[in-house]
Amino acid sequence: MARESAGQTLQATALVHEAWLRLFNGKTSVWQNRAHFYASAALAMRRILIERARRKMSLKRGERTEHVSIEDVDVAQTLPDERVLLIDEALQQLQKKDAELARVVILKFFGGLTNVEVAEILGVTDRTVQNKWVFAKAWLLESIRETASPVI
Amino acid sequence: MDAETTREQELFDAAMAIANAAERDAFLDRACDGDPDLRVRVSKLLAAHTHTEGFFQECLSDFATAVREMPPMADGDSTQRLSEELVGTSVGRYKLLKTLGEGGCGVVYLAEQEEPVRRRVALKVIKLGMDTQSVIARFDAERQALALMDHPNIAKVLDAGATETGRPYFVMELVDGVKITNYCDDHNLPTLVRLNLFVQVCQAIQHAHQKGVLHRDIKPSNILVAFHDGAPVPKVIDFGIAKAIEGRLTDETAFTSDGQLIGTPAYMSPEQADMSSMDVDTRSDIYSLGVLLYELLTSRTPFDQKKLVQSGIDQLRRTLREEEPPRPSLMLTTLKSTELTVVAAQRCIEPVKLIRSLKGELDWIVMKVLEKDRRRRYETANALAMDIRRYLNDEPVLACPPRRIYRLQKLASRNKVVFASGLIVLMTLLAGLGVSTRFYFKERKERIEQARLRQIAEQARADELQLQNVVDAREKVTQAGVLVSHGDMEQADALVDAIPANLFSPSTEATSVFRALGDWNTLNGRWQKAANRYAVVVQVNQVDRGELNSVATTDLLFAEPLLIEAGDVAGYERTRKTAMARLAGTPYAGAAEQLLKTSLLLPADESIMKMMPRLELLVVDSMKHYDPKANDNSWILATWRCFALALLEYRRSNFTASLDWLDKCSTYPDQTPSCVASVHILRSMNLFQLGDMTRAETELTTGQDMVDTHFLNKLEMGDNKTGRLGGWIMARIFLREARSLSGASSDVGD
Repeated sequence: MARESAGQTLQATALVHEAWLRLFNGKTSVWQNRAHFYASAALAMRRILIERARRKMSLKRGERTEHVSIEDVDVAQTLPDERVLLIDEALQQLQKKDAELARVVILKFFGGLTNVEVAEILGVTDRTVQNKWVFAKAWLLESIRETASPVI
Repeated sequence: MDAETTREQELFDAAMAIANAAERDAFLDRACDGDPDLRVRVSKLLAAHTHTEGFFQECLSDFATAVREMPPMADGDSTQRLSEELVGTSVGRYKLLKTLGEGGCGVVYLAEQEEPVRRRVALKVIKLGMDTQSVIARFDAERQALALMDHPNIAKVLDAGATETGRPYFVMELVDGVKITNYCDDHNLPTLVRLNLFVQVCQAIQHAHQKGVLHRDIKPSNILVAFHDGAPVPKVIDFGIAKAIEGRLTDETAFTSDGQLIGTPAYMSPEQADMSSMDVDTRSDIYSLGVLLYELLTSRTPFDQKKLVQSGIDQLRRTLREEEPPRPSLMLTTLKSTELTVVAAQRCIEPVKLIRSLKGELDWIVMKVLEKDRRRRYETANALAMDIRRYLNDEPVLACPPRRIYRLQKLASRNKVVFASGLIVLMTLLAGLGVSTRFYFKERKERIEQARLRQIAEQARADELQLQNVVDAREKVTQAGVLVSHGDMEQADALVDAIPANLFSPSTEATSVFRALGDWNTLNGRWQKAANRYAVVVQVNQVDRGELNSVATTDLLFAEPLLIEAGDVAGYERTRKTAMARLAGTPYAGAAEQLLKTSLLLPADESIMKMMPRLELLVVDSMKHYDPKANDNSWILATWRCFALALLEYRRSNFTASLDWLDKCSTYPDQTPSCVASVHILRSMNLFQLGDMTRAETELTTGQDMVDTHFLNKLEMGDNKTGRLGGWIMARIFLREARSLSGASSDVGD
């Protein structure tokens, strides 16, 4: 279940690195500590992905007339950019419900951190992080399914 | 945290631990007994769980796509794509015709400009993912100085901007030439010819230094040799660009993930390599000139570029800071004989002679330029050029400790005939004296020039620091903006806490961040911090041209009461005076009312009071449009306007007139509670002044109860129904004044 293959982590880390460069122009002094850095980088990552997805969606508009369909777990048919936006929307809902769950998602999903690293930052056990991560993922997916208009 | 979500997770976790589906259902039935909604929620979550794996897996591959499409960091493949992508398109008013070359940090295109003159230019697109705005800001700061440079050996930098994808670009005079080292080697130029070219490069750098511009990235690929009227002319390119993108060179990020160094370490001066120091001046350029000279003489750099890069950042710094490079002649003796033969052939000379020609003066000159301690280098490019000229003219060079024998050797070689005669001794003494005197004056002149240059450099550094601070502040605000948008107010607040207000340039971004942080601090009862945040908003509003609209005065509704709550009465006085002076000319009734109210929170002096009639007129005039019986939203505005007028009359000691406005206020339907409370309090103040103590106390108690109750609850920003927080804070300020009139000993909490 806790499949955190090296490949995935690497990809996410590369992304975070780039995000870091773009947002802070390489100035490390603004971070108080490691945790602070990771949190900022994850937020930056999230923002970059969302902006990028929005931009691409607005470019695509007109080319594609069908709507997003999340019915019956057919998420594979969603376009990548839509997926990012859907997750972000759901994440905002989650943030209102339970800020810590949302933090776990941001750090793990957008920040590419391992359970142990997240645990360190949040001051909980990695077991707790794993539980929260599993639950949060289910919660997000369920939330996406509920909000996406079921169109054929 | 949401209790419902917590409960859901507890059940979810517990259910996940039960492998058997039937047992799991039974468990949920039992646990959710009496709460069918919860049962449905948890089942849905469990169902969703089985699909999360696939969904989030997909997302990760989306991310990978995103990575590949992002601006590349230093990777050849994507650079290739970048250059191909752009050829044929237009960047700004330049049309890209073809790729000319690729450097460590960018791709250079041949481009055509059509307006205002039709010409061909070189356009360099920076490929690193860096903050385009700061790059352009830094470039703009130096534009003036760059424009002053006019030298046949300097390629002009014409323009800078951002491409559609947000990469910074620079436009330069097109130089049709080749790298200086390649030119020399391809043409097998002897050392003397090389030195002549090098002197011209020194003169170009000297010219720039005199205009207060540092190059910061002198290296062979930035010095191209072109033919002009049949003669080779070296041209220094990329002036001002290294500075604009320097953020990259002064940080650990100079190393990319695969350990490659951005920038050219072999040409970096020790003080440049010392990443922590911002202290780079003309003498750093001179060091780089020394490396160039070294390479022209030996086809090698003092430290091997590859080894430097491989050694890692710390070792690299240590090498540049501490390790003495071999003298050029010594370097040649360490080469393999095949390598040495090539190097010598490229200079049309036999290996042994080449080594001998470098020994002595040229070795000394080079080593003096490469001194670790910049105080011991030549202080100007001109001094370096002059010493090389001396060498070329067979005069003694400055680059070695003055030794008598050496000088006499020089004299002897120049004056062989004289030495042969019988009057040699006297002649020698006279000539020697003449040489020394000439040196004295030359040196003195140089020293004065050096002092002047250093002053220019220091000024440039001061400007740069200020600029750096502004850019820093801007970056922090952007970062705080991101944190605010994700609700992380605490971090955002800590981030902006230390930035002085004068560093903010007017931007809606800055005001909205600070407004949000001001509100957040207010909600947490941190009046001083809240007041500080709003002080920035007010300050930024002042720079904004659109301040006469009501945005500026709306911000005052918070800013001014907060100052009083923070106990900063002097700050309040200052703010209300500035606000009145700047905004009293507003044509808007709404702004007039807000200004009037916020300027009279405490008794005001004559200078404020005499500006009131104009505002009063606007507000009174607007009151004509309000019909107490009309059932729309305008009554909210009307009540506050009545109150403002009542406050004005009170400050003028027209107590009955004030009471009249307050009574009129009470005729409007459905008022905002904060306004009602304020009306009660102000009415009590008037009654105290008129001597009607009993009614005054009743009004005061009513008002006080309302205010106290409101502040007992958790603070909220509020709306027209509950009363906005700014209004409540004002009510509390009036309450304090009213209590002092009643002489009651009990105090209002803070």
